[in-house]
Amino acid sequence: MVHILYIEDEEEIGQWVTEDLIGRGHNVTWLTSGNQLEQHINNIDLAILDIMLPGLDGFSIGKRIKKANQDTPIVMLSARSAVEDKLEGLSFADDYVTKPFHPDELAARVDALLRRFQKGEESMEVGHLQIDTKSSIIINKHTREEILLTGKQYQLFQYFLRHLNQILTKEQLYEGVWGERFMEGDKTLMVHIRYLREKIEENPAKPTIIETIRGIGYRVKK
Amino acid sequence: MKRFLKSLLAKYILIILIALFLLQAAYITIILVFFNFVEDTDSPEDGQHSFAEIEEKWHQEASKVVSEDDVIRLFEKWQVIYPKASMFWVNGDDVLEVQSNLQENLPEEWNAAFTAQFLKSQYDNDPFTVVAFAGESDEDGFIVFQLERDVMKPQGQRLFDQYSWAIITLTIGVVFIFIFLSLWFFRGIRKRLVHLQEAMEIRDTDGLPILIEEKKQDEIGDLEKSFNQMVQELRESREREQEEEQLRKELIANLSHDLRTPLTKINAQAYTLQKMNLPIEAKRSLKLTSTSIEDVDRLIENLMSYTLLMASKYKKELKEIDMARFIRQYLATWYPVFEREGYDVEVEIEPFEQNTWEIDPLWFSRILDNLLQNVLRHAADGKYIAVRTEATGHYDAIVIADKGRGMQVDTEQKGAGIGLSIVDMMVKGMDLDWDIDSTEKGTTIKIIRVKRAGD
Repeated sequence: MVHILYIEDEEEIGQWVTEDLIGRGHNVTWLTSGNQLEQHINNIDLAILDIMLPGLDGFSIGKRIKKANQDTPIVMLSARSAVEDKLEGLSFADDYVTKPFHPDELAARVDALLRRFQKGEESMEVGHLQIDTKSSIIINKHTREEILLTGKQYQLFQYFLRHLNQILTKEQLYEGVWGERFMEGDKTLMVHIRYLREKIEENPAKPTIIETIRGIGYRVKK
Repeated sequence: MKRFLKSLLAKYILIILIALFLLQAAYITIILVFFNFVEDTDSPEDGQHSFAEIEEKWHQEASKVVSEDDVIRLFEKWQVIYPKASMFWVNGDDVLEVQSNLQENLPEEWNAAFTAQFLKSQYDNDPFTVVAFAGESDEDGFIVFQLERDVMKPQGQRLFDQYSWAIITLTIGVVFIFIFLSLWFFRGIRKRLVHLQEAMEIRDTDGLPILIEEKKQDEIGDLEKSFNQMVQELRESREREQEEEQLRKELIANLSHDLRTPLTKINAQAYTLQKMNLPIEAKRSLKLTSTSIEDVDRLIENLMSYTLLMASKYKKELKEIDMARFIRQYLATWYPVFEREGYDVEVEIEPFEQNTWEIDPLWFSRILDNLLQNVLRHAADGKYIAVRTEATGHYDAIVIADKGRGMQVDTEQKGAGIGLSIVDMMVKGMDLDWDIDSTEKGTTIKIIRVKRAGD
């Protein structure tokens, strides 16, 4: 279970978000100011911070958390929507959500960040696949057989899993996996996706795991 | 008085006075020199004798003459001293006997009448003429000595001839000194003025002129002082303006924050209610509440942006952006929204020939946000959205098309007005253009980049 630190001074909103996140299976510590930050700073997996707070503001708190642990993802959750605020927030934080927001959206962003920073669940199910992220084992639930991927295929699939439910453009995929700038017309990625599909899809002609979003890119949806 | 002495005017007066003094001094010097020479050199052109002395000497020499040979010798002797002189002897028989270097035609025979006329015409005239009786008595006739007076120049003239270079040099020297002093003075002024002008043109990072050094307490110094004062006032006014702008921005930001916080609370309550077991009617009205909250939220956002844009205070940072990549990545975040609403999404993004546009990605995202938001809100009937690129001979465009009922028909979409005003301001703020074509069958919006020279 991941531990989320949530700092919000508005009682009603704090209560609501805390309950919602707990309902989604997270462990939440809700503070109304940054005063007791030090007690929690070293054992949190993710932080959700309001900006306008009594005492230390959300920006300062966020920077402190990042300073203590660079790998703690931070979501700024504020009613301040000016470009300057967003830019300042995103200079250290990983996401910026403006109020009013839909809890599903916040939860989605939290999940995306947890996956990106590889925190949270060790095994997950995508379609007919059972994936153990720690030991890198992929099992076809229907056949109970392990699917063996080559290095690049695994890296590509891993990248999809880390950005689960997100649409990834071919530029993002290529640059994320190969670490080089994507050149228009390069077929490497398409070839690898075809091989990957041949291994993981039940019917590679009609893929269900790796969706093609026409004109934009690909997506692996949970 | 002390101020006056430091002024340019005082310096200029000083220069004029120096010049006047130099001219006067030069004249006085010339006059003094002149008088000294007059005293020292009272002698004719031969360097020894004056006219009076010549006359006296001629008389003396003439009295010693006894024979024709004496006359000839006398003439030869005098001719050596006065090469330009002419001399002749009219003997006791009134005949022109001996002549030397005679210029004019004189008769051989000299009667009394002609002699009288000659004497009358030559007396105290040019050429200078001396007539003396030859020998002791008047029976030996007379001898005449003539010398052009302009050969025997006046003393002043001779002095001038002798020392003219000094006088001219001195005069020119004085004039030059005056010109030099004037130029030097003017050059000083000019240099300071040019320097001042250059200093006035330098701009600080904030676009205001910088303070300049006040060097002297004269008229230009006063100008520098006034300029500095003006810069100071400009600076203060800019600071005031910035403070006001900051306050305004803060006010808008705080206001929008304070409006959104209760909206979030309403949203929270609505969401909580929605989770409860409520009749369909109640769920429907809760859904409407949520939609209204979103509308108000967007309206606040647009109002804030609009105010900032109108005051040119909306942060803008133009960058070279790969458009095909940017649009694809942007659509990746919007696709799920349209997918959830059951839209048919068509995306056709091809890189343009000139694929990097100079835009602010945040601004461009904001433009697309507003346009897509409109499609979502007001073209829901069509359940269709297409985003594609279009390239023609003279422009590249990003096209957003829907199959809604069009803008004119839809009366509920009042909120779209301000959203489109923002789109308009932002598009133009990035040197782009846009075009909207709305019919009852759908709306097509193009964000256009007209091809430029060098593309």
